This record gives sequence, structure tokens and C-alpha cells, in this order.
Amino acid sequence: MTPQDLNTKEANTWCPGCPNSGILNSVKEALSELVNEGKLSIKNTALVTGIGCHGKIFDYLNLNGFNGLHGRVLPVCLGMKLGNPDLTVIGFGGDGDTFDEGVSHFVHACRYNADITMMVHTNQVFALTTGQANAITEKGFIDGSTPLGQGEKPINSIVLALELGATFVARGYALQGPHLKTLIKKAIAHKGFSFIDILQPCIVYHKYSMPYLNKNVYQIEETHDVGNLNQALEKAREWDYSYEKDTKVPAGIFYETTRPTFESQWPQLKTPWYTIDRKIDWSKITKEFL
Amino acid sequence: MEKIILIGGEAGLGSAVTSHFIGRIFASLGYYVFNYRDYPSLIRGGHNFNILKISDKPVYSHEYHYDFILALDQKTIDIHKKDLKKGGCVYGAKETEPIVQKLQGPKILANDVLIGLLFKHFGVALNVILTTAEKVFGKNADLIKKAIQEGYQLGCEKEKFSLKANSKPKYFISGTEGMGIGAIAAGLDVYLAYPMTPATSLLIFLAKKQIEHNVLVFQPENEIAVVNAALGASFAGVKAMVGTSGGGFALMAEGLSLAAMTELPLVIYLGQRPAPATGLATQTGQGDLKFALNAGHGEFLRVVLSPGDAQEAVIRTQEAFYLSNKYRIPVILLSDKHLAESNYTFDKIEKSALAANRFILENPLQDYKSYKTTPNGISPRAVPGQGPVVRANSYEHNDYGYTIEDPVWGVKMQDKRFKKLDFLKKEIDKLNPISIYGKGSNLLISHGSTKGAIIDALPQMKNFRFLQISYLKPLPAEIISKEIKKSKKVVLVENSATGSLADVIKEETGITIKNKILRYDGRPFTTEFLMDKLKKI
Repeated sequence: MTPQDLNTKEANTWCPGCPNSGILNSVKEALSELVNEGKLSIKNTALVTGIGCHGKIFDYLNLNGFNGLHGRVLPVCLGMKLGNPDLTVIGFGGDGDTFDEGVSHFVHACRYNADITMMVHTNQVFALTTGQANAITEKGFIDGSTPLGQGEKPINSIVLALELGATFVARGYALQGPHLKTLIKKAIAHKGFSFIDILQPCIVYHKYSMPYLNKNVYQIEETHDVGNLNQALEKAREWDYSYEKDTKVPAGIFYETTRPTFESQWPQLKTPWYTIDRKIDWSKITKEFL
Repeated sequence: MEKIILIGGEAGLGSAVTSHFIGRIFASLGYYVFNYRDYPSLIRGGHNFNILKISDKPVYSHEYHYDFILALDQKTIDIHKKDLKKGGCVYGAKETEPIVQKLQGPKILANDVLIGLLFKHFGVALNVILTTAEKVFGKNADLIKKAIQEGYQLGCEKEKFSLKANSKPKYFISGTEGMGIGAIAAGLDVYLAYPMTPATSLLIFLAKKQIEHNVLVFQPENEIAVVNAALGASFAGVKAMVGTSGGGFALMAEGLSLAAMTELPLVIYLGQRPAPATGLATQTGQGDLKFALNAGHGEFLRVVLSPGDAQEAVIRTQEAFYLSNKYRIPVILLSDKHLAESNYTFDKIEKSALAANRFILENPLQDYKSYKTTPNGISPRAVPGQGPVVRANSYEHNDYGYTIEDPVWGVKMQDKRFKKLDFLKKEIDKLNPISIYGKGSNLLISHGSTKGAIIDALPQMKNFRFLQISYLKPLPAEIISKEIKKSKKVVLVENSATGSLADVIKEETGITIKNKILRYDGRPFTTEFLMDKLKKI
């Protein structure tokens, strides 16, 4: 399989030069490599997208997919997994999508630890609605809905995921394709809830992030202990999503651990439900009422 | 022959369990029983009561005049003694306390003493009660059995119910249980719900049975997650159902619209209670009718079903799954606290003859179109894992499910989705969308749980027929219109403040129904209430 096998004929409507195209390429490469390595069945792979610029990826991947509502990627992923435990479920969300509208689902997804991968396209704006601040936008940001300047500090989504118990937490940069590809492969291979914060600087509504990130993103050192939660938290706090002064932005795996998956709590969840041919024994169902 | 028994006490003292137990024994002896629950929204304290109506003829409602009051506290006597019939009995602390003390057991044993007393009164054999007690309370029911025995010895046999020799044991079942077994019979795979009275009881019923019947039950973080997860599961090929009450359904409204756009089957159980907002949390009402009919943004098809008793709950739930999966549309199963939490008796429980088909292609083509346009608007359904790429899209889309913005596809897809309506209507015509009871020239119209009181009142109002509407969407407008036109007087009966069914009928038939009997104090109709109001019309 080649990455091109995942192409569709749909016209790409991201802005020319948008780093989302880099994410798309890394995803296609990661998936095709996993297939070639015998680690992934493409017919048993399904993606879920929210609403926002990130969601357009739904149309650009020739994969089973569910383009849902704004903010609701994770419940759909969870339902798919409950519906067919054989599916490899990959969610794509925007940062507004995931941490504004849908933050409750993210909180619980980290707790549940279903075997799904969640990639959040972090551009620090609601871009498709012309650039309003979101939960990851840095303090002081000015836009049409916030002319007096964003008053609050952003959520550090890596810290959030770590504190809530996500079992795989990583950050990638859309413009560092090969590194991102490796992270995606590892996230999908991880058994449990994998979260990748993908920095995807918006080139229209958040112009200063790309040069900043190009200058400051670095790959987490090999000496970093991914099994150590405190170290992971420390590393996650190195950058707080703000742009006041040059601060190094770590990318790579912050933390990885194992915990029983969400799906494993149901002994009856073994095969896709649609393959079960049910025989209804009416007298057995009704006998308790007699 | 008919007896009305009230059992009351503070929450936590056991009146609901005792009432169900007594009802179950009478049902097993061949009597018809109706069991009504009334309780406030609290865990301990307050005043809970149950009313049992026991008869040798079918009964579907309760009333507020009692032959017996079984009191677990003084408050029960203080509140309800005024409604004791002449010659009626009150049993309470006077009888139970000495025995509970003698047995040195917990206070809750008072229930069992009362059970013994009551059944002795009716001359029911002790072993019948003790066997049932063992069945219900488990092998370790020794103390319970002792208390029943003591109560039995204390009582005296005063009357005997006369029952025809051929009276067979009756099924004793609540509306919730009806919906639960209907769902199981329909092939339910996954049930998702966030707790909310009166829908919680279905969540608990199915959760308890999930291993036995090989279904999966999960309570996600909120109703928004519930509906979206259910659609994710449905996409994966699951027969999915969600359950909630009005407030939770409000949170699901966007998801309902998503179900319509993605054309993913989904059954939504909506157990109503009085609103706005939190309303009367543990009481009954039918004020969400228009909400069920109209919730969700945009224009789309849905089915809204309203069963009138526990038996209908079984059949209508099966139909809900059938229609939802066949037509790939959301189906709302409307209920309320009165239907959900009341127990009914039946000679047998029937199920629908509809096949529990999954309506999923066995071998979909590789070039599969998730939203293929077809003469009846139904796109044959494949699911991920079968081979071809399967897509669901909340954006308007083309037949492959890719996002589109052009006007041609926009119209094509909206037309495709609405094309199902004619076929759906024809199918629903075959499913008894309305029922007519009685032969009078005047007409009562209603839907849902009001059926019980109306059916019980009907023999006393010979000049009335009762038109029960079970399919509220699509509404069988032609038949309704015909029935209204051939009636002298038409009266709408609804557990609501405005009688919204009249508006719905007007919208679809142009006919105005002026006479309405409404009740919106959170309590269900009784025959007495109905007859009283009818006199004034």
C-alpha cells in the first residue's frame, strides 16, 4: 500500500500552504506503513472528525469515516468501539472543537481509556468561522469577538490529558512530517486512549505562530522517561501555548503507560454486533413476569 | 369484585417493593392488578405510596378510595384515612410493631407483617406467599418469612375473593419492562443512557440483563455523549437505543438532527415528566409531545410512537427498531412516568410479528455508495469492516458521503431522504396506528398512558368511543379526520396544560377540537377524575 492509495478525488479546500496538508500527508504515510507492516487492516479502520478546518480531512482520506458534529468526535469514537471492538478508531478534532465545545468528552475519554487515537489540530483559533479565540488561544489575543483581548490563559491540553489519566500523550508539529508520522504510528499501535496534540499554525488568523514554532519546536530528548508522570508533567509545562517570549516547545512522546481498556470491562463485547445472529427465545424473556 | 389497597410510608421503608410483591401474588393467583407509584424526589423521608387495584376483570388504572390502608408510618394514616371506604381496614404500627420487636429484626419487617395480615384477610394460602417471598427475596428470606407468618397468624380471614376456576396466572409487568423486553426481542445490541427519572428504570432493567441477553449497557458522561456514541455504534452496525426524559432529550436535539442527516438508525426512548426545566421530577405528564415531534434543527423524517400500556410498549418498541433500521431514520418512543412505572397484568404477553432484521447488506459491493439514491429513498446499508468504504456525514453530501456545497446535490439528497415518507406511511398503516374502543357516537381522543383510565371508564360512558393514537408521526390524519367527522361530540384527553395533541390534529387535519379534559398536576388520570370532568363538558 502506498500513501496515495488513501487519496480521494475531492478538491482540497484548505488555504494554500495550510499545515493541515502536512498532517494529512503524515496520516497517509503512517497508515500505509502500518498496513505494510501487517499492523493495521484498512477495512477495519474508521476515522471520526468534528467540525472546523481539521474536519475537512474526512473528505481527503479514502477510509471508513464519520464526519460528526462540532465537539462530539470522542463520543462517536467511543460508540464505534462499543459497536465493533475490531475497528481501529482514529479521531481528528480541532482545538476549539475538542477543548471548548467538547471538553467534557475529552475529560472522560482520558478516564475511560478506550483504545482510540485522538489527534487534535491545534491552531489556537476558530479558523473556519474567521478567527475567534478558543480555549487554547494565548492571553491577549485580539479578534472580532474579543476586541478587548483574550482575558484568560489557555488550557495546556498536554497537562490536562496527563492529569486525567490518558495512557499515551504526545505532541507533534504539522511541519515536521516524518516525526509526526512516527508519533501517529505509535499512537495507533498503543492499546488505550492516545492523544496527540498536533501544532497546526493557522497562516491566516494566527500568523505569528508558524515562525515561532519553526524556531522553537524541538524533539523531546531520548533521555526523557516516558513512564514517569512527573517528568511528563514537567516537560508539558515547558511551553504554555503563549508567544510573549521565545520558549522552547517540546514535541514527541511525553508519557506512555498501560491500563485495562474501556472495552475490556464488558465480557460480552467480543465481536462486531452486526455479525451476531440473534435467536429470540420469547418464553425465556417473559417468564420472570409470570 | 374489586379491591383497592394503599401502601404508604417514608421513602426507604419499602412501600414500592411491598406493593409490587402483593400485586405479583394476586396476579399469580389469576387476578388482574394495576399498581400505581407515587413518590417525591427524595431518598429518605417524605411520603411514598402505592395504590393497587385488584379485580377479577381487567384493570388498567387506579383510584383514590381504599379498602385497605397498609401504613408503614403514621403519616400514611393521617393523609389517606379520609379516603378509606366504609368498612375498610387500616393496618399499621399497632399490628406490626409488637411483631417486629418480638423478632428483633429491622424496622423494614413491618412490610412483611402487613403482607401476612392482608393475605390472611383474603384467605390466601400461606405457602403461596412464602414461596413467592423466597423467589423474590432469595434463599436468605428467613426473617422475612417469619414476619409474614406472624402477620398471617395475627390476621383473620374475613372474605375470600371469588375467581373463576379457569383463571390462569397473569403476567405482571411495567411499561418500562415492556419496553425493555420489546427492545431485547427487537435485537437490541447497545443501550446508552444518562440517568433521569422516569427513564432511569429502563437503564437499570437492561443493565441488569446485559449478560443474560448479550447486550451492552453503558452510562456515558452526559446525554450529548449518549446520543453521539449511539450514532457511532449505529454506524458500526449496532441496533442502538438511548433513553432519557425531557431535559436530557433537549440535550440530544442536535444529535437527533445528526441521526437524520447521517441516516443512521436510532431508537430514542423519551419518558416524559412535567416540565418546564426540572419540573415535577418524579411525576407524570405528556407535555413533551410537540417537542418530540419537532426537536432538532432542520427538516427531516422521524417516527413518534406512543404506547398506551405495558403490552403495547413491547410491540411498539419492536416496531420502533424495525422502522428505524429499515428506513434509517430516528424513531422516538414516547412514554411517561405513569406508563413507565406502573404495573399492568395480561393473560399473555404478545410480541410483534415483525422480523428483527438488521437491514445490513451481506456482501456490499466494493464500489459502495453510503447514500445511494433509490426509488424509495432507502440506501442499502453497509457497515465498516465489511470491506467497502462506508461514510456518514453531518454535512450535506453526495451519494458516496463526501461533503458537497452545490445546490444540485443539496436538493437531491433532501428529496432522497423525504422520499421515504410515502413508503413509511404505507407501512405504518399496517401497524394499527390508531385503535378505536367502544361504539358511542361521541369521541374521546388521546395517546399514551391516559389509555388506562379511559378504558376503565368506558363501560360507564356508553355514548363515547375512544380513539387512541399510537403513531403521532407520521400521523394517520385521514382516519382521525374521518372518526372526528362522524362523531357528535369530540373531547381531547391529555396529561398536559394545553392539550397539544389538539394542535397537532388541527395542523394535520384542519379540524379544531374545542373540548379538552386536561390534567397537569403531575398525577395521572383516574376514571373518577375523567367522569367528573366529562360531566362538565
